Amino acid sequence: MRNRAAYPLTLGRIVAWTLLAVLIFITLFPLWIVIKTAVTHPKELFQQASLLFPSDPTLLNFRRVLGLVSLEENLAVGGVANINFLTAMRNSVLFTLTIVVSQTFFSAMAAYAFARLRFPGRDGIFFLFLAATMIPGAVLFIPNFILIKNLGWLNTFQGMVAPFVLMTPFAVFFLRQFFLAVPKELEEAAHLDGATPFYIFWRIVLPISKTPLVTLAILTTINTWNEFFWPWIVSKDNNMQVLTVALKVFQSQTPQGSPDWTGLMAATFLAIIPVFILLVVLGRQVVESLQFSGLK
Amino acid sequence: MHQVFRRTVIAAVAALAAQAFAQTEITYWLWDSNQQPAYQTCANAFQKENPDIKVNIVQKGWDDYWTGLTTGFVSGTAPDVFTNHLAKYPEFASNGQIVDIAPLIKRDGVKTDIYYPGLYELWGRGGKQYGLPKDWDTIAIVYNKKLLKDAGISEATLRTWTWNPKDGGSFERVIAQLTKDKNGNNGLSKNFDPKNVVQYGFVINGSGGGYGQTEWSWLAVSNGFKFNDGPWDTKYYYDSPKLAETIQWLADLSLKKGYMVPISDVSRLGSEALFTSGKVAMLPHGSWMIKWFKDNAKFDVGFALLPIGPNGRKSMFNGLADSIWTGSKKQEQAWKWVKFLGSPACQNIVGSYGVVFPAIKSGVDAALQAHKKNGLDVSAFTTIANTKGATFLFPITDYASEISSIMSAAMDSIFLGKAKAADALKEANAKVNALFKR
Repeated sequence: MRNRAAYPLTLGRIVAWTLLAVLIFITLFPLWIVIKTAVTHPKELFQQASLLFPSDPTLLNFRRVLGLVSLEENLAVGGVANINFLTAMRNSVLFTLTIVVSQTFFSAMAAYAFARLRFPGRDGIFFLFLAATMIPGAVLFIPNFILIKNLGWLNTFQGMVAPFVLMTPFAVFFLRQFFLAVPKELEEAAHLDGATPFYIFWRIVLPISKTPLVTLAILTTINTWNEFFWPWIVSKDNNMQVLTVALKVFQSQTPQGSPDWTGLMAATFLAIIPVFILLVVLGRQVVESLQFSGLK
Repeated sequence: MHQVFRRTVIAAVAALAAQAFAQTEITYWLWDSNQQPAYQTCANAFQKENPDIKVNIVQKGWDDYWTGLTTGFVSGTAPDVFTNHLAKYPEFASNGQIVDIAPLIKRDGVKTDIYYPGLYELWGRGGKQYGLPKDWDTIAIVYNKKLLKDAGISEATLRTWTWNPKDGGSFERVIAQLTKDKNGNNGLSKNFDPKNVVQYGFVINGSGGGYGQTEWSWLAVSNGFKFNDGPWDTKYYYDSPKLAETIQWLADLSLKKGYMVPISDVSRLGSEALFTSGKVAMLPHGSWMIKWFKDNAKFDVGFALLPIGPNGRKSMFNGLADSIWTGSKKQEQAWKWVKFLGSPACQNIVGSYGVVFPAIKSGVDAALQAHKKNGLDVSAFTTIANTKGATFLFPITDYASEISSIMSAAMDSIFLGKAKAADALKEANAKVNALFKR
C-alpha cells in the first residue's frame, strides 16, 4: 500500500491522466479495428463496418489464413488464394534471426577494429564508412539488385540477407563509440597477461558492452522484422516470401476489386504477435534501449 | 500382413519418388482468383495425360501480376506460361519476350478455326501468333433486383432502355429513380439532395484509363465514337467530341447530379464491394464476374443488356490467351500446356465452372448450363456477342502502357472534377499520338 497522501489529486494530475487515456485510446484503437475485422465473417464486413463490436465473431479468417480451408471454400466466402502464412512466418523468423545475430557480431568486430586496432588507413576507411551512412538506401537498391541477379541469388535466402548480414554503417559507428569508452587500462592489463586481441575482444570488451549490444540487437530485430522492400524485389516466390511481402501480395490478390480485408486483418494480427511477445518479454529493455540510443 | 503392408508402402513411396524425379515442373500464372479452381482441374487432367510434367499454378492480383511479369522478364524469374492480355501483349511481342507459336501450330497441325470468329486473329500480327484464345468477354449492366423492386421499376424497362449524352435518355431516368437521399427522396424528385445520398443508382469501376472496357467504352461507342481504325493502327481519336460529351455526361452523374458514387470512394472501397453491400443499385461489368456476383451478393442479381445509344447497342469484345515466355527453359513442355489450354478438353472443363465464357462453342454451352443450374439468366452477355455489329474489339496498338498512364491521368482528372472532358482529352490525345511519331 502506497501512502495516498504522496499523490494528491490535483487538477494537473487529472488532466495528465485524461491526456494519457486519450493517447492510449488513439494508439490502441487501430489495433482494435484490426482484431474486430479479423473476427468478422467476410460477407458481413460492409454491413458491420459501423459497429464497434463484432456481432457474430468467427475464427473462419484465421483458419483461411493458416491454409485450413480449401481454395473453393475460400472463394465461396469471397476470399482469395490461400496465403502461405506459416511458410512466411518461418521465413521471417529465419530472416530476422540470421540478420540480427550475424549483423550484431560482425559489426562489433568491425567496430572494435576501428576503435582499438592500429592499421594503416584506419581513419580513412572509417571516414568512408561514415560517408556510407549518408547514402539513402533507395539509391543502393538497383546496383544491389543487379549484383544479386548476376550471382544467381534471386529467390534465394542468401540473396535476401546479403545486404544486411555483414554489417550496417550505423551499427559499426554506434558500437565504436562504446568501445572507445571502454577503459584502456583493462585491455592493457589483459595484454600484459598475454591475451590475444581476439581474446580481449571476446572476453572483456563484449561482456562489458552488453547494454549497447542488446540495444542494437533489439533495434535490428524490429527493423528486420518490418523490412519490406528488399525482400520484396529479390524473392517473390511463394515459398520464399517473408511476412511483410506475403501480406502485400495477399493484399493485392484482390478477388476482383476490393482486397480480402478480413483475411488480411487476420494475417496482420498473427504477424503482430511475435513482436508483441518480444515487447512483453523484453519490454523494459526495449524502452531502455530506445532512451539509451536516443532513437525515438 | 504387416510385412505385406510395409512392402506396399515402400513400393508406393519408391514409385512416387521415381515419378517426382522424372517430372519437369512448369509455372503458370493467372490473375483471376475466380478462375484458379477451373484451371487447377485443367492442370490435373493435363498431368494425367503427361505424367512427366507438373504444372505449378500461381495467382497474383492484377497490379502485382504485370509488375511481376515485367521484372521477371528482366531478372529471369518469369513464369513459363502466363495468361496474357490484349493491352499488354504487343509490348511483350516487340521486346521479344513472348514466343511466336505460329511455327509450332503448323508443325503439330493445331486446328485454329474452332474459336469464336475474331478471337484468334486478335493474337496475331504479320503472320506471327502469340497465343491461343482461351475465353472471351462482353459487358452488361449488373443490377440489384431487390432495389429495383423497391423503387417500383419493372425489369422489362431495362430491356428497351435508351441513352444519349444530352439528357441521358431512359437509362439516366432509371439511375435517378434508384438513387435516394437521406430524406427518402429519389433522384427524380425536385427536393432531391445530391449532397446527402444514402443509396446510389450507379457506380463505375474506376475512371477506365485509356480503354474504359467496363466503365465507358460501351457508352462512347454507342454514341458513334471509335478508338482508332483497327488493330495496329498508329493513332487514336481520343479528341473526338463524341467521346468528350459521353465522358462529361458520366462524370456529371456523380459531380453534379449525385446519382453515381464519386470516383474517390470507388478507388477506396471497390465498386464490387459497394454493390454487394447494397449501397448501389447498378454497375456495368464484364462476363468474367457473373459467378463472383452470384457468390458474394446476399440479394438476387440480374444482368441487363447495355442501353441503346444513338448508334445502337455496343459492347467491347475482348479475349484472353496464354503466352509462352521466350526465356523459359522448358519450351516444349510449355507449348504442350498452352496447346492443352486452347483445346476443347480444357475449355469444356473451364466452361463447366461457369466463371468465364471459353473461346470454343462447346465450352460456352457448358458455361451456359452451369449458369442455368445457378438460376442465372446471362443472356445479356451472350446476346450482344452473337448480334452482328453489336461488338467492337479491344483496341490493340503499340505503346499500350504509356497510353494507359497518359489516359488514366486525364480520365482521373475529369472524374474528380479537376478538368473538363473536352480539354483534358484533347491534350491527352496529342500526347498519345506523339508516341507513335517518335
